[in-house]
Amino acid sequence: MTDATSDKFDWAAPAFQATLRKRKRSQLWLKSLGLGAILIAFAMLFLLVGSLISTGYHAFTQTHLRIDVVLDADLIDADAPERGNYRQILTNTMQAQFPDVADDRAALRRLTSILSNGAQFTLRDMVVADPGLIGQTVTVTVPVSDPYDQLAKGLIDSDTPEENRRLKDDEIANFNRLAEAGMVSKPLNWGLITNADSRFPELAGLKGAIIGSAYALLICFLLSFPVGIGAAIYLEEFAPKNRVSDLIEININNLAAVPSVVFGLLGLAVFIGWFGMPRSVPFVGGLTLALMTLPTIIIATRAALKAVPPSIREAALGVGASRQQVVFGHVLPLAMPGILTGTIIGLAQALGETAPLLLIGMNAFITSAPATPFDSATALPTQIFIWADSPERGFVSRTSAAILVLLTFLIAMNAIAIYLRQKFERKW
Amino acid sequence: MYDLKKPEHDVDQAKTKISARGVQVFYGDTQAIKDVNVEIADKTVTSFIGPSGCGKSTFLRCINRMNDTIDICRVEGEITIDGHDIYAPDVDPVQLRAKVGMVFQKPNPFPKSIYDNVAYGPRIHGMTRNKAELDEVVETALRGAGLWNEVKDRLDTPGTGLSGGQQQRLCIARAVATQPEVLLMDEPCSALDPIATALIEDLIDDLKQQFSVVIVTHSMQQAARISQKTAFFHLGNLVEYGDTDTIFTNPRDERTENYITGRTG
Amino acid sequence: MTLIAFLILISAVVIGYVLNLRSARALRHGGAKMHSLDGFHGGYAALMVLIPTFMLIITWLLFQGTVIEYLVKSGLPQDQLEGKGTGEIQLIMAEIRSIAGGRIFGTPEAWKLDAAERMVALRATSGGLLVAATAALAAVMLYIARRKVAADFRARQGAEGIIHGLMVACATVAIFVTIGIVASLLFETIRFFNMVPFWDFILGTSWEPQIPLREDQIAAEGAFGMLPVFLGTLVIATVAMVVATPIGLLSAIYLHEFASHRVRAVVKPVLEILAGVPTVVYGFFAILVIAPAIRSFGADLGLPIAPNTALAAGSVMGIMLIPFISSFADDALGAVPRSLRDGSLAVGATPAETVLKVLFPAAIPGIVGGILLAVSRAIGETMIVVMAAGLIAKMTINPLDSVTTVTVQIVTLLIGDTAFDSPKTLAAFALGMVLFLMTLVINIAALRIVRKYREIYD
Repeated sequence: MTDATSDKFDWAAPAFQATLRKRKRSQLWLKSLGLGAILIAFAMLFLLVGSLISTGYHAFTQTHLRIDVVLDADLIDADAPERGNYRQILTNTMQAQFPDVADDRAALRRLTSILSNGAQFTLRDMVVADPGLIGQTVTVTVPVSDPYDQLAKGLIDSDTPEENRRLKDDEIANFNRLAEAGMVSKPLNWGLITNADSRFPELAGLKGAIIGSAYALLICFLLSFPVGIGAAIYLEEFAPKNRVSDLIEININNLAAVPSVVFGLLGLAVFIGWFGMPRSVPFVGGLTLALMTLPTIIIATRAALKAVPPSIREAALGVGASRQQVVFGHVLPLAMPGILTGTIIGLAQALGETAPLLLIGMNAFITSAPATPFDSATALPTQIFIWADSPERGFVSRTSAAILVLLTFLIAMNAIAIYLRQKFERKW
Repeated sequence: MYDLKKPEHDVDQAKTKISARGVQVFYGDTQAIKDVNVEIADKTVTSFIGPSGCGKSTFLRCINRMNDTIDICRVEGEITIDGHDIYAPDVDPVQLRAKVGMVFQKPNPFPKSIYDNVAYGPRIHGMTRNKAELDEVVETALRGAGLWNEVKDRLDTPGTGLSGGQQQRLCIARAVATQPEVLLMDEPCSALDPIATALIEDLIDDLKQQFSVVIVTHSMQQAARISQKTAFFHLGNLVEYGDTDTIFTNPRDERTENYITGRTG
Repeated sequence: MTLIAFLILISAVVIGYVLNLRSARALRHGGAKMHSLDGFHGGYAALMVLIPTFMLIITWLLFQGTVIEYLVKSGLPQDQLEGKGTGEIQLIMAEIRSIAGGRIFGTPEAWKLDAAERMVALRATSGGLLVAATAALAAVMLYIARRKVAADFRARQGAEGIIHGLMVACATVAIFVTIGIVASLLFETIRFFNMVPFWDFILGTSWEPQIPLREDQIAAEGAFGMLPVFLGTLVIATVAMVVATPIGLLSAIYLHEFASHRVRAVVKPVLEILAGVPTVVYGFFAILVIAPAIRSFGADLGLPIAPNTALAAGSVMGIMLIPFISSFADDALGAVPRSLRDGSLAVGATPAETVLKVLFPAAIPGIVGGILLAVSRAIGETMIVVMAAGLIAKMTINPLDSVTTVTVQIVTLLIGDTAFDSPKTLAAFALGMVLFLMTLVINIAALRIVRKYREIYD
């Protein structure tokens, strides 16, 4: 139909059609490779979250034993109830439960080891709170120790040969007797949030770490937010365009890319080494994190300020406002949602930061929650690191659970940031 | 060879190359083109004029299906080239665009050498068998675009290093290199100075020996200088279409007259 | 006491504001034509009180610990300290501190109890002095500010000048942070090189800082050669980039050229989640899932895979870097002008040809910049390698083997108690210096490239 002359390229030629098919095929290839890459990334995220949930959900319940305990007056001095021999009381209790188990010390010790090591302290605290209990029989619900917790959760396979198993046949039998008697329960593990750290997985909780992280973040916010906004306003609105401003600008961009462990070295050398601040305290952690978060906040604030159209500034300047009145009265309020979004995202990063906190010693083993930012404490990410390093089996699921708690905080913070962005997003 | 069943709407005895019937274009919910019918003759220059946002560029981009690359754009109606519906399901836009070349408002040479810019189309389409053939194609295209003498000694320098007018002629060479049958030009001179514009206008006059050229322009003088046919678009409608002389001297529609005499713009 | 000082500060600020506001108002009501609004007079007073007093409190708090420590230490009986190294003296000071804090273990010697008592007394004195100094300074500043109120006093300029100064100070904090980093690293690194020869560190091929040799032996043995550590870092970073670069680039190409808006709207945030996961979580993921998987896979193939194989840490780090590279590449592709894309499509190129032959080459500078930043991250990444890589430095480039990295060594050398005078501690700072310089060079190069590239198309 076309008046193709001999020198014209023949678009309908089979050779061209073959080329075209080949080109279409390579297009399909590229497309599927790209899709494959995205799917790999998705699969990894799925695997990550999946593995955390599948190992971590065990830690959200804790096996407890409900048991009648005779608070033998012979073993507790009514005048000093905190010095009572509660361990012996528990041993007696377990012996009473299993009268048939021979009265040899080793067997008894193994029986008592069903109970968490913390059970004696639970009893002690009860008695100290109410000395009238001495001599009476009380029903307490106490956590069982880690191996039995694992057993109750089905994590110990009774088909494995006995010598490779953490619990021997008789121990499993003993525990099963308690379970059949209806004394074993698996309530929600509030201890994960209300307890501080412990060497015993069944008692270990995140209270200290959560409070430590909260203090560190508070300090970080109090320092980096005002300083970051001040610096950003100066650089964006007032700074003359000269070499000093350029230097500051390059400096901030580079700081944002300095590895976090280097900030840890800075914190260690300057705050602890030179200023003699104490180790392991959230205050120093917060200071170090603030230095890391500062570039993020400055960059976010500058972007938010830049997004406010110049017409607003010109309008306010036009009616005779000073430049500071313009910035603080008009530009800053309009930029605030953007600044807050950036700050929250920066704080979320700081919350997940681990390496600098390790270097300033926030990986210490501390069994009580800090009362002030100047008490030794851990933080959520360092607590995860400590637990991940612990050999006890129970800490595997605790670690996953702690990560899930940390991720929950992070998701909440990011959700707030997204909400702010969407609610106050302005189209100029 | 001519398809005799086609409706005869010959204005100048030239055969019809492109024919549009009932073309409507939507961007999302807004309609950009309303029921355009036009027949564009082969080996002539046809210009589309009209105020900004009247849809002339949109319609131009329908002819080589460049609108396909915009997600929300929808085209209805029928556009045929040589009697073939270009929106038929079996038509491959890749093949179509090789036959319907396009030159854009702003010169857009690739950040490659001059040679590679021109050879880009022939290479991807596999139009040549060897280097010698490709060299020939490149030379022909550059000669066709009136650029050969200026660049023949520096074919391996970047195309982005040329002046604006040269860049635009390079883009024309790039479009011509695939031996298209139709050349679409979307305000090709709007970013150029008067001297470069004059060169391009001369070039367009030469090009119409080989293809049918459709050009969108803001400048009525330009349309009057270079085109044989002119179509006036207004608010998405094709208001008037006919010989350039007639449109400019004796428009039938009041809107055309107002625009041409400068009362609307 | 600190709390009281802060309360004094806050009330002085409020009082200053109210006083000056009122007197300015009184002047105006009295018929004076004021230069500045009343609020500016108040604000001027508040700032005049706030800044010097706040600085005083902060400086006091920063240095009181060091000063008290020094006073207590110099008051210790000389005969008890004779012949003791700084480490031992630090231990003694720690004990005194804990006694002063009320935590007494065993029965300390009498001179320690004395020192602790002195420490408590000094702390109380310091607290009292702080409160007194705060109150005095605040009062002086209040007086000065109050005297300034006058009809022609330019309170607005005054207040704005102070605020301007504050903002400049904030902006220079960033510079001071950099100076602090360089100073702290440099200072400790120089001390390190006084113990270990520079070239032994740079070119040494053996890194065994944990072996408890006698002090004089350590340097002689040359156990602080950084090459194997450096090599290990490169091995893991290479594995990470081999994983992250193709996946990141391909997903960026897909997102940019083939994905519909709806797919983009889902995929981009999900990739961002991957970027927001804390590294300690990736580290745990590596030891929980990836390392065992790689090991059992290797066992199936009969490959000798070390338990802490560089492959595990590296590939998990690669996963972490995917979103980083993909978003950089996506931005770079998006920054290529649309007209180039149109030009390519208009001669009949397929979208794949367009992206590979036109967009990608045009975006290369931006993409290279992004990849360089990712390399710098991989080198500086700490937690993944601390948890999943090895501790022993080996001169190997075999990714199946276990290697250690600069960051791992920094953390392991500094975890636990650190005395600032052992080569072991100082070596960490020397490694930190190496790490800082390496990442700095890469970052500057990357930022340059990215910036240049933006200029081309802006």
